[in-house]
Amino acid sequence: MHYFTRTNAFRVALVLLCTQMYSVYGQEQQTYSGPYQLGTYKGEANFSYFLDTQDTILQGNFKMQRSSLDALLGKEDNSFLFSGAFENDYPTGTWKFEFGEFQSDKQTQVVDYQYRVLVSGVQEEAKGRIVKGKPDGPWTYMVNKIADSEIEETLFKSSMLFNKGIPQQSFEIENTGNTLVGRFLRDGLAHDEWSLFSSEEIGTSESWIFKEGVLQRIRIEKEGEWTDIRFAGNDTNTTKTVNLDAAYLKTLHFLQTNTETVDLAKSAMEPMLAENTNYYKKLDTILSQLGKASFLPEFKVNVPYYPLDSLENRQLEQVSEQFKIATEISDFFLNSSQLGILKLSDAEANRLYGAVKALSETYLEPLGDLIRLKEEGIYEYAARQQIFLRLFPEVPSKELIINPTDGVAPAEPFVLPNADAYDFNGTSLNTVQQISSYALESLKTVEPLLSKKLSINKQELELRLLEEQLIAENQTLQHLLDTVLPSLPNMHVAALEHIKTVTDAKLGAFSTAEDVESARELLECYQATNKLANTIAQLPSKSMEIREKYTDRIWNPFMANLMDEEVKKRITSAYRKILIPYYLEMVQEKVDCITISALDELIGATTAKILDLRDQDTHKLERKLKRAKDPLAVLKLLDVPTLVNDNQ
Amino acid sequence: MDRFNKSVLYIVVSMMLCVGQFVRTQEGGEGVLPEASVFTEPKTQTWFNTYGNIRISKRFFWDAQTHFRFAETKETPYIGQLAQIYNRHAIGYIYSKKINFSLGGVLRVNFNTNEDSMDRNVVPEWRIWHQYQFAQPLFTAMIYHRLRIEHRWTQSFAENSAFIFRNRWRYMFRAKVPLNNHKLEPNTLYISPEAELIMQSGKAVVGSVMEDLRLTTTLGYIVAPRLTVAGGLMYSQGQTLDNAGIFNQKWTLRFHVYFSPDFRKVRNKLPAIHLND
Repeated sequence: MHYFTRTNAFRVALVLLCTQMYSVYGQEQQTYSGPYQLGTYKGEANFSYFLDTQDTILQGNFKMQRSSLDALLGKEDNSFLFSGAFENDYPTGTWKFEFGEFQSDKQTQVVDYQYRVLVSGVQEEAKGRIVKGKPDGPWTYMVNKIADSEIEETLFKSSMLFNKGIPQQSFEIENTGNTLVGRFLRDGLAHDEWSLFSSEEIGTSESWIFKEGVLQRIRIEKEGEWTDIRFAGNDTNTTKTVNLDAAYLKTLHFLQTNTETVDLAKSAMEPMLAENTNYYKKLDTILSQLGKASFLPEFKVNVPYYPLDSLENRQLEQVSEQFKIATEISDFFLNSSQLGILKLSDAEANRLYGAVKALSETYLEPLGDLIRLKEEGIYEYAARQQIFLRLFPEVPSKELIINPTDGVAPAEPFVLPNADAYDFNGTSLNTVQQISSYALESLKTVEPLLSKKLSINKQELELRLLEEQLIAENQTLQHLLDTVLPSLPNMHVAALEHIKTVTDAKLGAFSTAEDVESARELLECYQATNKLANTIAQLPSKSMEIREKYTDRIWNPFMANLMDEEVKKRITSAYRKILIPYYLEMVQEKVDCITISALDELIGATTAKILDLRDQDTHKLERKLKRAKDPLAVLKLLDVPTLVNDNQ
Repeated sequence: MDRFNKSVLYIVVSMMLCVGQFVRTQEGGEGVLPEASVFTEPKTQTWFNTYGNIRISKRFFWDAQTHFRFAETKETPYIGQLAQIYNRHAIGYIYSKKINFSLGGVLRVNFNTNEDSMDRNVVPEWRIWHQYQFAQPLFTAMIYHRLRIEHRWTQSFAENSAFIFRNRWRYMFRAKVPLNNHKLEPNTLYISPEAELIMQSGKAVVGSVMEDLRLTTTLGYIVAPRLTVAGGLMYSQGQTLDNAGIFNQKWTLRFHVYFSPDFRKVRNKLPAIHLND
């Protein structure tokens, strides 16, 4: 099914534009009604739009929905409904969103001439006004548990008040066990105390205390005891206003200073805020795919801000590059199954493997965390020192202790000979860069030593692999012969049997002088041979295909019926009677590893050419073919290249 | 296209009904009826007929038939002497794979095979003919109904004899049954029984309305989609024009070659097999 997308809408509209003159004056309102796809949502849509040069501008009511009785009665139905209106491509007016996940007990009843099916599941419902693409006025988002078509329980409910997209005054978020109440400043900044009330206890059970948007502390009550979660940098003067979103919540985890006493993960408020943010994100995704919406509500907070200067930015980039190369090297060795086996029997390989592992754990893992902080946009919200100490609680040692693995005795520690050139003191990005350089340099030192060890072993392994492949190819050929020989004409059988004799002889010769190079050559030869054998086995079916292509259904006036007539018989008979026997003879006379591919290609090219000639004017060719009896002459007439050594 | 086909069908059917009424008629002879029908001794004839069906366009073909008909004489029994050369031509219209119509003319050249006759040796005979042919598959066989109407002007060998006009009304039923195959296709031998009743009318026809009843069995072989050969034996009887009480009888050996070349360019041929589908 083709879903109507914005591009399609444009195409459809463009056709209308070209065919209906009045549309030329533009801005003629049109309506669409039919299948429509919006991101992952596929359903039926009704809406109005007009065209502005190249763009489809939504204007007027919009409705899109989906529900399937079949799916519901089958297993489960995922329904949705979006309804509202657009003004000049901006969502405007009252909007409603519904998302359902329903199952049914498959029982139906007829009530008032309607079939009724009771459903159970979860229904999400969001309602509110939008002005110029931004939420405005009260909005609610509810998630209800439905049992037998009745609301059984409200799983989630958030009520907020917006002014042009900015949350105002107080808000309330409820889930099954808790109610969260919070406040915003006029500019949308979180302010004062956000409190969580548990339905099981009296009074507050958690508080987030904001001051001008900066989270000061979180108080969590546990069995009558209050514990504070403290954050680094809440006394800093430099702050940045950010959205209260997933990245912010992640930042909080990072900024928490007293992780040892209580973990932010214990907070019941955080998941509620995250859940609410996700629901609004879901609506924003839908609206922004439709028109010019910026629906995502701006719940704002201030975070401590330590901007990176240009030097630091460059250093971070370098660290990131070095980390990438270093990780590639270490991953290669750590994931090498061959090395995994080799280190069991080779002490030096074992030591080097241990060094790579230690390098990866000591340096690369913390560096990876640091790069992730940068990618997630958290890096600038924490002091450099705090980040460093979080990643490297102790100054990392240049001398890496190699832990004994797999029962092998501990080896001597690994250290770069010029370790002194690297300065690990300090907590700045400079130090980070020194660490990443040291890690990369160490891995580069280990790499050639380990590679050498692996490559000696590799040769043996490769030979074994090649031999396995050779045997597999040989079996493939044998299997092919067993399958097709009984049904093939004698000439084909002789050709295939000859191929088998030749390859068997080659395999015999190889087994007396085993080396990688000749194994590789023989494998190539085998692959080419098997391809040719397949081609030969398929010749009868190709002939049939040609015969079918060269057959016309013609009307016979005397019988008043349709009959098959073979046309251009000279071409098909040249193929059947001259070329095929010639090729089969060639297989028996000239097949060797060098010419085999060429012969296979030649047969393929000939067949393709014959099939191609069906639809071409071949009067002259047919006349010339009448006299041509020599296969080479026929090939020349057909303009198919011949094998080079045929000229000899 | 269907509408066009239908209108063509109406036109030819109305022609079939009307043409006969506008043609010139002539006086004919009259004999004394015997008390009982008299059946003459059967004569033998040999026919060599060629049937060409040359495709002109998607729906039209040229029906070109040349027949050489030998009749026995006292001197040359069995095969006989050349008695008539037929040149039968028409433009045919393919209404569908199973229905076609033809309209055309015949020049039959009659040779005087009466060795004792002092009359002219050769006289022409003219005809306008139209034909409506319908085919039906029946199990592995095909059956055919052929309606043929001829308006003929004939004259006798006698010097200065006038043309007489008659209409001929012919219906033929024929079947073709494949013998060594489950359908009629190349390399198939088939047997074809056929029966044709030829009625005639016109001022010259007094009582002798049944001109000929022909019963034939033919053995044919489809050599290629465009070439078929056949041979058979026909028994026929019919009232003589002079005397409705006298019936001629004939045994005829018939040999046929059917060919249907198509000289059109390949690209024009292709859609031709699909007429209505």
